[in-house]
Amino acid sequence: MPGAGKLQRRGPFGRGGRADPGGPGGTGARAENAPGGAEETCFHCGEVVPAGADFTLEIAGRARPMCCIGCRAVARLIAGQGFERFYTQRTAYAQRPASEAFCDDSVYRIYDDPSLARPFAERGEDGLIEARLLVGGMTCAACAWLIEHTLRRLPGVREATLSLNRARLDVRLADGETPLSRVFGAVAALGYRVQPWHHHAQRDEAEREYRRDLRRLAVAGIGMMQVGMFAIALHAGALSGISAEYEGLLRLVSLLVTAFIVTFSARGFFASAWRHLRHGALVMDLPVALAIGLAFAASVIATFQGGGEVYFDSVVMFTFLLLLARFVERRLRYRDALAWQDTEQALPDTVTARRDGAWKTAVRRALVAGDRVLVRAGDTIPIDGLVESGASAVREDHFNGEALPRRVGPGDSVYAGTLNTGDALEVRAIGSYADSRLAALQRSIDRARLGKPALARMADRLASGFIAAVLLATAATALIWWHLDAPRALWVALSVLVISCPCALSLATPSALANAASALRRAGILVNGENALESLANSSHALFDKTGTLTDAGFVLRHIEALDGGTTAAASEALAAALQRYSNHPVATAFAACTADPRPRDIRSLAGAGLEARLEGRTLRMGSGAFCREIAPRLPPSPEHALYWVALVLEDRPLAWLGLEDRLRREARPVIARLQRSGLECGLLTGDASRRAERLGRDLGFQRTHTGLSPRGKLAHVAQLQEAGARVLMVGDGLNDAPVLKRADVSIAVAGATDLARAQADFVVEAGDLRQVLFVYDMARRTRGLIRQNFVWALAYNALAIPLAAAGWVAPWAAAIGMSLSSLVVVINAARLRRRPR
Amino acid sequence: MESLYLLIPVALIFCALVIKLLLWAIDSGQYDDLEKESWRIISDEDDADLRARDEDSA
Repeated sequence: MPGAGKLQRRGPFGRGGRADPGGPGGTGARAENAPGGAEETCFHCGEVVPAGADFTLEIAGRARPMCCIGCRAVARLIAGQGFERFYTQRTAYAQRPASEAFCDDSVYRIYDDPSLARPFAERGEDGLIEARLLVGGMTCAACAWLIEHTLRRLPGVREATLSLNRARLDVRLADGETPLSRVFGAVAALGYRVQPWHHHAQRDEAEREYRRDLRRLAVAGIGMMQVGMFAIALHAGALSGISAEYEGLLRLVSLLVTAFIVTFSARGFFASAWRHLRHGALVMDLPVALAIGLAFAASVIATFQGGGEVYFDSVVMFTFLLLLARFVERRLRYRDALAWQDTEQALPDTVTARRDGAWKTAVRRALVAGDRVLVRAGDTIPIDGLVESGASAVREDHFNGEALPRRVGPGDSVYAGTLNTGDALEVRAIGSYADSRLAALQRSIDRARLGKPALARMADRLASGFIAAVLLATAATALIWWHLDAPRALWVALSVLVISCPCALSLATPSALANAASALRRAGILVNGENALESLANSSHALFDKTGTLTDAGFVLRHIEALDGGTTAAASEALAAALQRYSNHPVATAFAACTADPRPRDIRSLAGAGLEARLEGRTLRMGSGAFCREIAPRLPPSPEHALYWVALVLEDRPLAWLGLEDRLRREARPVIARLQRSGLECGLLTGDASRRAERLGRDLGFQRTHTGLSPRGKLAHVAQLQEAGARVLMVGDGLNDAPVLKRADVSIAVAGATDLARAQADFVVEAGDLRQVLFVYDMARRTRGLIRQNFVWALAYNALAIPLAAAGWVAPWAAAIGMSLSSLVVVINAARLRRRPR
Repeated sequence: MESLYLLIPVALIFCALVIKLLLWAIDSGQYDDLEKESWRIISDEDDADLRARDEDSA
């Protein structure tokens, strides 16, 4: 959802009926619509109105241009209900509605069956049906307004509330007056995508936690003000004199309020400290609970004995500050986890698939490889696949954070969970949902969440030891002060207890790792082991596999051996280019830039052999030696050079041998140079035994090149390096060299679109941009630097603060602030990793 | 100073009311989405107005 703040707010009804082109962001089509362009844009969705289209509609006394029937239908509905205000309130264009077919209630009639509706609709205590729906396609707050108000006008709908950042619509309606399908239909008719909201344990838990934290924080805040008021009276009384009666009264009321705060708001600290203590673990909640408990107990005793000091205000303020710090910290840490939860929910339940020669509605989960699916404009792509027909643009901000859509045409891959922003596409599935990139991403996140990283466990042990030390220090402080100045002993000891901050220590590593992993994920990289970031930053050698990693699937033309005196090399090249123009074999990439001269006809492609065509009545063949020799027996054997040779013959006349070579990725050279400048020793390990591989290694500036290695040889090589003390980063394709990748200290797989989900490596980057490898490496280095900063800060803070507190120079409330700030500093510092490096 | 015996209980009652109100607001989900609420003030009109207009147009 675009942030409303970024968008310009438009004046009522745009200018002269034309929507402000510079304002709302969205699909690429809008971005091309430069300010001042003469093209008319759709009043509803902001797309350019196609030439010749006439879908104008009168809204608020003016004829407004519309780009399609869908937009006009939606706009008519909105205006017809008297909701023209939607157009003045919105801060972003509406999304173009999918198609008119979806504006029909019948699609949703299945949800009128109570057994199907049960997962998302139930009967409340007051007899009303409470339904939860997921709404897609909302672009700004005005959308929420429009949907809520449209629904509230339906008979029987008592309440409709839409939560914008969760895209969740809560509807309460009386049974029998309006069927659920009508509610679905009403939202869909406005041009939004709507589907049932499914419960998700983790998200529900996070929501409950959020509310619980907020309740505790709010009560502690109000209590703090109240107790603070009494405390001011007590302090003023201590200065100017107060009668024992009123002092006793004020102390008693403070006690009552504080007791309530301690039991309501601070309960979490006690529960957690006790739970861990029973298992023999010392957690940071223990010193906190001890401090609150002791201070409160001492104040209670002072109140009833009528002497000494009371510190109710400190107890409450301490509770409030700690809760506040924890609340902020949790919000920071979970912000991303929540955004990623439940990625599958973004996919539609039903899809339009080709079954028995016709387009039928099918269940998405039942899709398998080979199924053909129709994805309408504005729909979410339900499955990973290749575009069969149609040309469009897909928005993949889910995977790479890129808001501009990528253009796709036949043969391109598209991913589940991305948005089809252009025209309808026909997609052939390459696997079921479990094979999709989205599912792989979800799995990697789930794994990360389930298994507590080894590093974080180490940090916990560290903190545990630290707490034991703090408890000892506290006891020692109390003992010493008891002899020096007995009345102050308790308060100084409490300050020591409170000011020490094990959480800064235990958060230093995990918060940095979590932030780095989330930044990587947003850049489209699958993170399977975030602990590997540490090994990556410390690696000394980077070894690359050649095929598929340094080279891509294409070829380049290196050499032409002319075999026929009458045909020059250039003529052969042009002829080959003309033949390959219509082929999608990888070989064709070598000729893409060449000029194609004559126009052969009837081009046929013979799998595994080559191409055949007719040229001026004669047969032209291009392909393997054996295939060409069938018609030209005189074709000599291919030249000796270590290239991939393709023959070209015209009838029985051999024309040329064309020597091709793997195409090196353009960014391979700078990437390797950068890695070497960062101090990594780079090497090439390849199974290719040719001189070509050796030359490639030299060209790219590898310090070591080992060619002709078997998989076992590669393994032995890595093991040998490791024995010599090297920490090895291995970059491969993640499938053929999975064992080597596993053996290396840290691995990055460069995987093609179809293999993303299967690749086995710590990090999987999408083939096509080797610079992602560099990005992962840089992120690892930044993470290591940040972890060090955090540790230095946490240790320095504790080293400074604990002696100060032990000397009695820090009041308990100041200690609470110090502790809260020190852990916030760690968390906020770690959040810097999310920012893109300049 | 006897007024304290009256004023303190009054303050406490107010305090309890405020807490009660706040907890109710949190539990009914009013703090779950802070983005939309900031827009409501400029985009909302009373449901009463709406109904009145519905009746006019009907």
